[in-house]
Amino acid sequence: MDTLDPRRRQILDLVEQYARDKFGAPPFAADRDLVHYAGRVFDGQELRCATEAVLDFFLTANRFAERFEADFADFFGAPGAYLVNSGSSANLVALTALTSPKLGERRLRPGDEVLTVAAGFPTTLAPIVQNRLVPVFVDVGIGDYTALPERIAQAVGPKTRAIMMAHTMGNPFDLDAVSAVVKKHDLWLIEDNCDALGSTYRGRLTGTFGHLATFSFYPAHHITMGEGGCVIAAGQSAEELGRIVRSLRDWGRDCYCAGGENNTCGKRFSQQFGTLPSGFDHKYVYSHIGYNLKLTDLQAAIGCAQWQKLPGFIARRKENFAYLRKALAPYEDRLVLPVATPGSDPAWFGFVITVREGAGFSRTELQRHLEERRIETRALFAGNLLRHPAFLDIPHRVCGGLANTDRITESTFFVGVYPGLDAPRLEHMAEAFRGFLKKR
Amino acid sequence: MATPRKLRCTVSEILDHGDRVYTLRLKPEFPAPRFTAGQFLHLAIDPYDPSAFWPDSRVFSVASPPDQRDGLEILYSVVGRFTSRMEAELRVGSEVWAKLPYGEFVVAALPGTEAALLAGGTGVSAFTAFLRGYAACGGDDGSRVHLFYGARHPGLLLFRGLLQRLALARPTLRATFFAESGAAPGQGVEPGRLSLAAAWSALQRPAAATYYLSGPPAMIRGLGAELAARGIPPERIRVDAWD
Ligand SMILES: Cc1cc2nc3c(=O)[nH]c(=O)nc-3n(C[C@H](O)[C@H](O)[C@H](O)COP(=O)(O)OP(=O)(O)OC[C@H]3O[C@@H](n4cnc5c(N)ncnc54)[C@H](O)[C@@H]3O)c2cc1C
Ligand SMILES: Cc1ncc(COP(=O)(O)O)c(C=O)c1O
Repeated sequence: MDTLDPRRRQILDLVEQYARDKFGAPPFAADRDLVHYAGRVFDGQELRCATEAVLDFFLTANRFAERFEADFADFFGAPGAYLVNSGSSANLVALTALTSPKLGERRLRPGDEVLTVAAGFPTTLAPIVQNRLVPVFVDVGIGDYTALPERIAQAVGPKTRAIMMAHTMGNPFDLDAVSAVVKKHDLWLIEDNCDALGSTYRGRLTGTFGHLATFSFYPAHHITMGEGGCVIAAGQSAEELGRIVRSLRDWGRDCYCAGGENNTCGKRFSQQFGTLPSGFDHKYVYSHIGYNLKLTDLQAAIGCAQWQKLPGFIARRKENFAYLRKALAPYEDRLVLPVATPGSDPAWFGFVITVREGAGFSRTELQRHLEERRIETRALFAGNLLRHPAFLDIPHRVCGGLANTDRITESTFFVGVYPGLDAPRLEHMAEAFRGFLKKR
Repeated sequence: MATPRKLRCTVSEILDHGDRVYTLRLKPEFPAPRFTAGQFLHLAIDPYDPSAFWPDSRVFSVASPPDQRDGLEILYSVVGRFTSRMEAELRVGSEVWAKLPYGEFVVAALPGTEAALLAGGTGVSAFTAFLRGYAACGGDDGSRVHLFYGARHPGLLLFRGLLQRLALARPTLRATFFAESGAAPGQGVEPGRLSLAAAWSALQRPAAATYYLSGPPAMIRGLGAELAARGIPPERIRVDAWD
């Protein structure tokens, strides 16, 4: 087999060596280096795997995508995992899957309501609107930044059919409360787990509670492929949903042959669909109005190398979070520090801070101070999505007001906890906070 | 359904059942992806190079149970070009490639329902994984499963011992065997072809049962038409067609 060609091994070894020389990080220089809020963390293994995929030159999803999907599904105990080209695409196919005619009476139809939050990332909300469903917004807590559990129960109306929310910043939303509402009203649940790969709730991985869960592998996330995402399905309808997800991802076709494959079912020319002639080529039978959201084997190859590092990455995120929590504890009178939802153990995405009312300074002043010291800060995504130009006129319902969501828009930001933050960078961050807060 | 994955496998055992029917045991290089009972794999004899397309292959039901992911078993009979090559070329230690899982032929035995499994020849391999799991659950949950399995002669009723043991392990599972020739009295094998008439009279509520058909095309066509004629709606006739 070609993979045993000695030149191949030589190339791979050289690539790994190059990566070590090129990307091996020099020590942190506080007066020069940026302290990023997130970023890719990698070594020669990622470049080696990527080069393997280049040398295969299969380009479209192949052995690395297969391997990643198998490992990912196993990690979650899911029957299958479906790679897509981004977390946003994962959200799009996951929600659109619930509108599939294959679900019969259980499908979502235009005008049905989906519970969500407005303090989040736009592409958790966008697929709801794109599918002509009606989002129903509930407020979130300050400190945990997840949906207020009592509001979720109150928000369910006669047209409510689903809940789709993110475990914001890696912090699981109250899954006891949400699961109870899902069960009571027979709703669909999609967990946007893009920020929360490895978070647990009562000892169980987030992403395994809903009917569907989505993941992002953008460089800011727990592992990266550059661009990439994934969908998993759980529970009794997992097989059915998985087939729908795959169809929507792969142009909407009915057949599950991968690109370049033929007749894997052995029935390519012997079935009858729609009003097509009997025996019409199954490879070109469409059961959904779909998309092409597939990723390349090159991306998956990088993901395979990253996958090996996930446990270490999760541990580092937790450690870095704990460091900042301790360093900023003396300033809790002026800063609301992040808290894990009860029963959860988050694989934190970031360290979220809300400046208290009456703190004596604004969020922007604090952010400016940090940015001047080359410490990157970010808003809690969009703040209140409903205040953005794109979403001003969408049909929607709000249950109980969005006072905290608006406060987040004014007073909240986050800094990084990603594994690329080592002790000198963390100390630099803590020192910058201290420098600002001691003077006030 | 799990994404199919390509696995390099070593042939670990070949059982010759006579009449050019074989069991092939494969040891994959790493555990096979999750699959469900009734699904099938693609088997390639020529080497697979990941930078090229998948070589010529044929599909075979996975006869081993889904919880056994470090060993796969298929059953095949020699009928044409590819299976002749399998017979001629494969030896213990040969390297082959498999990719799996495929297929949506999933047998369900829900409480309060009766499932009739109609297997012709090597078609039984689509059911063995399910039957092993069903027998292992034990107890009576109100479901009923009845396997009707026909072959050319009693020697070709593969897995007969296993299937009889499984039926003993769970009283809600029954198995009836047919052989076109050579069925001697007292062997527990009915003489003649597997017929719907025989299955119909053995089932508790034949008009309400769900029928699962696996075997050669002629058998599927014949039994499928008879079931339709008896008023069984298409959604209760599930077919693993081997065309
Ligand atoms: C879902 C599914 C599951 C399957 N599971 C199994 C299984 O578990 N075990 C199993 O054995 N098979 C199984 N099959 C069938 C298997 O995939 C092959 O189609 C079969 O073995 C024939 O392959 P072949 O290359 O030997 O025959 P091919 O050369 O492809 O020939 C196909 C057919 O043409 C006819 N034919 C070929 N050559 C001649 C000839 N010289 N003279 C007369 N007729 C000829 C034969 O009847 C043969 O059936 C399954 C098929 C499907 C679709
Ligand atoms: C909660 C959440 N959902 C979805 C996404 C979108 O992921 P992607 O950037 O891969 O499209 C993000 C991105 O950061 C996110 O934070």
